[in-house]
Amino acid sequence: MTDTADKPLFARTPEEREFELRAAVGSYWTGGRLMIGMFAFLFASLAFAYFYLKSNNSGKMWRPGGITAPTGIGWTIFAVVLASVLLASYGQWRMRSGSLLDWEVSGWVAVFGILLAVGLQIWQLTQLPFFPGSSGYASCFIGWAVMNIMMLLGGAYWLETNLALCMRLRRVDPEEGTPATSNGPSAQLFRANVESCTYFFGFIALISALFWVFFYLI
Amino acid sequence: MTLAAEREAESEVVYPDPTPPVLGGFQGLPARPGWFSQHLGTAVIGAVLGYLLGHWLGNVVGSGYTNVSNSGSNSIAVTGGLLVAVAGWLLGIGAVNYPLAKLVGMEPRPEYESTSWTRYLRYTADHKVVGLQYVIGVLGFFFTGGLLAMAIRTELLSPTSHVFGPGTYIAIVSEHGTVMMMMATSVVVGPLGNWLVPLMIGARRTAFPRVEAFSFWIFTAGYFVILSALFYGGFPTGWTGYAPLQTQAGVGMMSYLVGFAVIGLGMMAAGFNLAVTIINYRAPGMTWSRIPIFVWSILATCALLTLATPTLVAAGLFGILDHTAQTAFYVTEHGGSSFLWQNLFWFFGHPEVYIMALPGFGIVAELLPVFCRKPLFAYKVAAAGMVGVALLSFFVWQHHLFQSGINPDMRPLFMLTTELISIPTGFIYLVGLGTLYKAKIRLEVPMLFCLAVFFNFLIGGVTGVFLSDVPVNVTVHGSFFVLAHFHYTIMGGLIFAFFGGLYYWLPKMTGKTMNKQLGKAHFWTMFIFFNMTFFPMFLIGLLGQPRRVFEYAQNLQALNDFASVSAFLLGASFLIFIANFVWSIFIKPTPAPANPWNSLGLEWQTPTPVPYYNFERIPVVLSDPYHYSEENAPAVADLGEGELVTTGASSPASVAENPRPPAPGVETTR
Repeated sequence: MTDTADKPLFARTPEEREFELRAAVGSYWTGGRLMIGMFAFLFASLAFAYFYLKSNNSGKMWRPGGITAPTGIGWTIFAVVLASVLLASYGQWRMRSGSLLDWEVSGWVAVFGILLAVGLQIWQLTQLPFFPGSSGYASCFIGWAVMNIMMLLGGAYWLETNLALCMRLRRVDPEEGTPATSNGPSAQLFRANVESCTYFFGFIALISALFWVFFYLI
Repeated sequence: MTLAAEREAESEVVYPDPTPPVLGGFQGLPARPGWFSQHLGTAVIGAVLGYLLGHWLGNVVGSGYTNVSNSGSNSIAVTGGLLVAVAGWLLGIGAVNYPLAKLVGMEPRPEYESTSWTRYLRYTADHKVVGLQYVIGVLGFFFTGGLLAMAIRTELLSPTSHVFGPGTYIAIVSEHGTVMMMMATSVVVGPLGNWLVPLMIGARRTAFPRVEAFSFWIFTAGYFVILSALFYGGFPTGWTGYAPLQTQAGVGMMSYLVGFAVIGLGMMAAGFNLAVTIINYRAPGMTWSRIPIFVWSILATCALLTLATPTLVAAGLFGILDHTAQTAFYVTEHGGSSFLWQNLFWFFGHPEVYIMALPGFGIVAELLPVFCRKPLFAYKVAAAGMVGVALLSFFVWQHHLFQSGINPDMRPLFMLTTELISIPTGFIYLVGLGTLYKAKIRLEVPMLFCLAVFFNFLIGGVTGVFLSDVPVNVTVHGSFFVLAHFHYTIMGGLIFAFFGGLYYWLPKMTGKTMNKQLGKAHFWTMFIFFNMTFFPMFLIGLLGQPRRVFEYAQNLQALNDFASVSAFLLGASFLIFIANFVWSIFIKPTPAPANPWNSLGLEWQTPTPVPYYNFERIPVVLSDPYHYSEENAPAVADLGEGELVTTGASSPASVAENPRPPAPGVETTR
């Protein structure tokens, strides 16, 4: 998420601080899931368009000639996204065990992986064997490319901001422990944010898999 | 230790002032309030420069395609101009500062805490400032749409003599519908939801204050984008934007598509922030059965805003791609389908009807107990009704396609689901009636508006049940009957409730009292002329006059003229509101009492003006806020340091010393 809940700065007593911290951590949890819900409806709209136009097959123009977007690039994009998501998940699993460095390394690789996928997606748009308006399939594919780029960039931004925050948190108070292990409010919020971000990455993998099947397999 | 127990132990401790919340900006740089910092002026500059840049870029891209360069119009340049203008607007107001700073791990800097009026021109994390910004914003939307409505009624004064040409007329009708619909989706959630919800649930802030501010500023950007259509020759589709007309329209259509998508983003942001706030920031003791009914309505609305609106954004994106990248989502000849737009649009559009209706119900249900001085009848039924309406609203969209693009065998199913939704709606209506039953009603201005909602919504709701029925729907489809129906539900329900809510909460929001006589004059003129304007339209529709057509049969002129003259008087009634608002708030302000309506709501238990951090101590909620006139009613909340909110009716929680002037019916006691 681009706008994170602030640290609980209003609180006057330990109990109020604890209450506001709990609320902020809960906001990351709820916000992450709600964001997945929003993106789910966004992509469900595209899936609806895909199946609606496919079943209509107006003027037999759904997919004349069985033409497909460049399959090799499509497979590569999917593989890169999947690898990035697995890396981000592995990193978070390692962070739970206290290994912050593993998360950072896997996180940065995941960010670059996602950016690579965005680059490949843009390159694929220049290699299409069809005009955007030549068929229902072609239209849906262009729609998918645009929405996929937006989703991937959003995910990369979210993970990158967590990585940048992590670096800053380590610099600010090395005595307190790492953001992976500290019980300080900043560290707790950071971990909640990373957890929601990783959950969102799982959603990215799911969406990528579904639309990979739609556009390249069926 | 719980908060309540901790208070008992620490009630004597003096704490320093809480730190105010923080807002975006690069860490380390000092706050620079004043004309050289970011504000509305820099946003306008950003938007203008952004438009020029985007338009130029669009021309560069489009000039490479012969079909664009030979067409005489360039959707790519217009779309680029509008999108980059929105980005420039957000950049100029400061919405992008913090997201950029986060890229290098920076934390937000403390917000400059200003009491100057200029804070209303800035990007701020204070939900109360955002709420008041929204008040001005939605009123601007509303009056713009209202002026366009006056133009429509002027044209319809005569069946054959014309003020406008047919193209101009349909452009005005389309602009009116779009502006009003966009306004109506945010008219309660934006101003009242943002301002009140944190206070009502005992929170000191919203969960994502910058997302909240973003929702307002992108909402205003969307207003200008939609308005820009008039400068591009308008769009001919009405507010529903149906293809294939959409794909054949000129560049004015881009303002519609981009504007709807941009405002959709704002709606999603507003709903997202408030939903997360309600779920997570409720004060201790504020259980689901104790949250104010208005908050329930906002939560149900936010669920719809966050889940239904992405479909609108997707539909808009497909339309933009059709016009710019030359895809064919809505072009049947190339494998697309114009019915795809209808399905996507109404999958958002019908929940949108309840996005508009539910907050209105919430306001009425919230105000009734205050002015009836009795508990809200069947609180849980009302809450369940709101959730039920929200859920069912996802399953009715196909009734908009009864006349087109739907398998006839599917009609009975969607007729049934549409009729089903009248059941939870009826629950809410009956809850209101139950609260009114045997009540000693105080006919204050807000209450008059609430009572009007019952009258108007009964007509709008019953005609809605008629319209859900396939034979009636087919008969009156596209006629003034449908137009009258939805004006009765949206304007008669939501807008009346909104004005009731404004009169009720403005004393808290501004610290000033609205003039009562002028308020009553506003109400009666609005109520009478609203009904005189829209009731004849049922007859006009039944007699066969279609919507969006500027010529009509001679025999309908008398009814049309009656509706037009009434509409002008209805428009004039809002001048009374504007006069009252300007007079009472700016010219001759009268300080409002702390709790003028003797409400038990938490929002009234804070000082006026409400401090930046809302509550001195996080309140502990002890019961729901509707125990009016009950003997031995429980205290509503513990505001900290032994300060209790009670009904004052022999409450066991009351003690002798009272730190505030006692108000009849409500006491805050130590």
